[in-house]
Amino acid sequence: MSETWIILGGWLAAGLTIFLFSFLYKDNPFFKIAEHLYLGAGMGWLFQVSVANVWIPKIWEPVSKGELLVIIPSIMGLSLLTQFIPKISWISRYGFTFMMGYGSGLAIPAGLSTDFMSQVEGTIKPFSLLASMSPFAIFNSLLIAFGAICVLFYFFFSVEHKGHLKKVSNVGIYFLMIYFGAAFGNTVMARFSLLYGRFDDLYTFAGTKYLYATQIILAGMVLYFLAHWLSAGRHKVPSEENA
Amino acid sequence: MLNNKIKFNLLLLASFLTVSPVFAAKSAEAVKALKPALAPVTGLKAQDMPYDVGGAVLLTWDAEAAAPEGTLYRVFVSSLEAGGWLQTAAFASGEKMSKDMGLPFWAWKARGGMHALNVELNNIYGDFKDGPVFHFKITKVKGTVAAESETASSATVSNWFRLDRLNNLVLLIVIIVIFFWAVSHARRKGLFIRRIAGLDAIDEAIGRATEMGKPIFYVPGIGSMGSISTIASAFILGEVSKKVAQYDSQIKVPHYDPIVMTVCKEVVKQSYMEAGRPDSYREDINHFVSADQFSYAASVDGMISREKPAACFYMGYFMAESLLLAEVGATSGAIQIAGTDVEHQLPFFFTACDYTLIGEELYAAGAYLSKEPMLLSALKVQDFGKLVVMVSVFFGMILVALGAKFGWDGFVQGLLHLFRNY
Repeated sequence: MSETWIILGGWLAAGLTIFLFSFLYKDNPFFKIAEHLYLGAGMGWLFQVSVANVWIPKIWEPVSKGELLVIIPSIMGLSLLTQFIPKISWISRYGFTFMMGYGSGLAIPAGLSTDFMSQVEGTIKPFSLLASMSPFAIFNSLLIAFGAICVLFYFFFSVEHKGHLKKVSNVGIYFLMIYFGAAFGNTVMARFSLLYGRFDDLYTFAGTKYLYATQIILAGMVLYFLAHWLSAGRHKVPSEENA
Repeated sequence: MLNNKIKFNLLLLASFLTVSPVFAAKSAEAVKALKPALAPVTGLKAQDMPYDVGGAVLLTWDAEAAAPEGTLYRVFVSSLEAGGWLQTAAFASGEKMSKDMGLPFWAWKARGGMHALNVELNNIYGDFKDGPVFHFKITKVKGTVAAESETASSATVSNWFRLDRLNNLVLLIVIIVIFFWAVSHARRKGLFIRRIAGLDAIDEAIGRATEMGKPIFYVPGIGSMGSISTIASAFILGEVSKKVAQYDSQIKVPHYDPIVMTVCKEVVKQSYMEAGRPDSYREDINHFVSADQFSYAASVDGMISREKPAACFYMGYFMAESLLLAEVGATSGAIQIAGTDVEHQLPFFFTACDYTLIGEELYAAGAYLSKEPMLLSALKVQDFGKLVVMVSVFFGMILVALGAKFGWDGFVQGLLHLFRNY
């Protein structure tokens, strides 16, 4: 790749990053450019992924080899497109009905075994090693079991939460909040690492190799906002006077 | 002199050649004594792996009672009658016993003194259809000595029934029975549901939007129709859009998944008809944005910041875009109600939204809002499920602890099998 293309790529990356960050100040034309470009590029990429990863290997190639059974699900999939033609849009219901049934059939047994059975096993299993457990490990396992019961009680909808039941439910909320706090901190740390990645890129593009892309784009945008603010102020004064 | 030297050397060579085979035989005997012959694996049987989708073979063979330390088993497979052997597993003689098969007691009878190994042929030969016969042999290795077993052969079969998942089936049947009981009970006597603050606020949010003359944004998340939270979200959308139609307010539903969009179109259309306002329904209430997560988030953020909605609902399956959306909604001054079952995204909704439905509350929302007996019964069944978990955890904990204390290994394992996910 030639040096010019590398520099252009750096300008594009720095520009789009700063355009998107500019939303932190307010909605503006730069953000709109980046937003629509992102939307279009995302859809274009998904389209080629669908063609290359679904249409060709799952439909075209099997049909070419004489595996005609794939035509049935393909027709059901294509039936969804009849939504665009109101007169025959009812055909799409067959495809949707199949997908709804298939989705529920797939999700319910999987949910039952992972969210239900595994939950019980995971909570009681540590007690099978009771003989070799330290007092702290026993306390930990008991705490988890107690927490699981209290949290589940919070999600009981067919019983009024009052009196002692309310206390159990409140303990459940405390357990939930402790978990949410930990999850929040964990995720925020991960997001910060992404932010550092963008800053690192902007720092790289601020170098002489990229002809100071970051500084120039940033300065251009500051000038634009300044000019916009001044012109908005000029327009605002007469209207106030008129009022 | 030179002749004598040559004669002596020749004599020495001749005597060495005569004696060396004797020494060689003696050294071989000595080695034999040092390295006793290794008995090959006995009782090797190959059969189709029971209760699987095919592509796997179950190998069993006799365990050696007193296998020397450091003995290894190497398992070979071939798709050819002769040759073509590929090693598929290697492990110490004490491993892969019958009791370690990982199947529950109702589907597998563990036998002492027997090895059992599940050989997944898909990992070696890729996806293949049932039919071809595969050949297996096991080589027992101790140091440099190896002993090969006889060959065993089997084909694979796809099974229709997963006996190992019988616990799931029983639970599902119990839940279905309770569901029908709950439906009939709900129709006769009605069912009580406790107050859920986040759902009570829906009326307030729609009323606010109507008064302000601003739109309502309903974001159903990035889940597909297979996601339970998206299904729950479609129910809530139905109730919200019914109220929107009654108040003659505006609702906008930006979509990530085209299939969810089409389902939601039907739901909203139906709600407008039920509210007696089919004339107010517009096709562009539900509109597709993007199937790419962050471009969807960026676009919806742009819409929210430009249109300044009075209320934003985020109900369904959300990932990293949760805070991106909720934060912009909060900045625009909208009243925000969120609900998801993705527990690591809930903290972001807590920080940026006015009300948040946590996990199960989202599932309960459809029933809570509509008060339909069928949905109320589903809620009752969910409560029953939670009760079963609570009781199972409480008594399971006591029984397992007692079993561990008194050394009832079989009882403890059986109890754990009941709740295992196979």
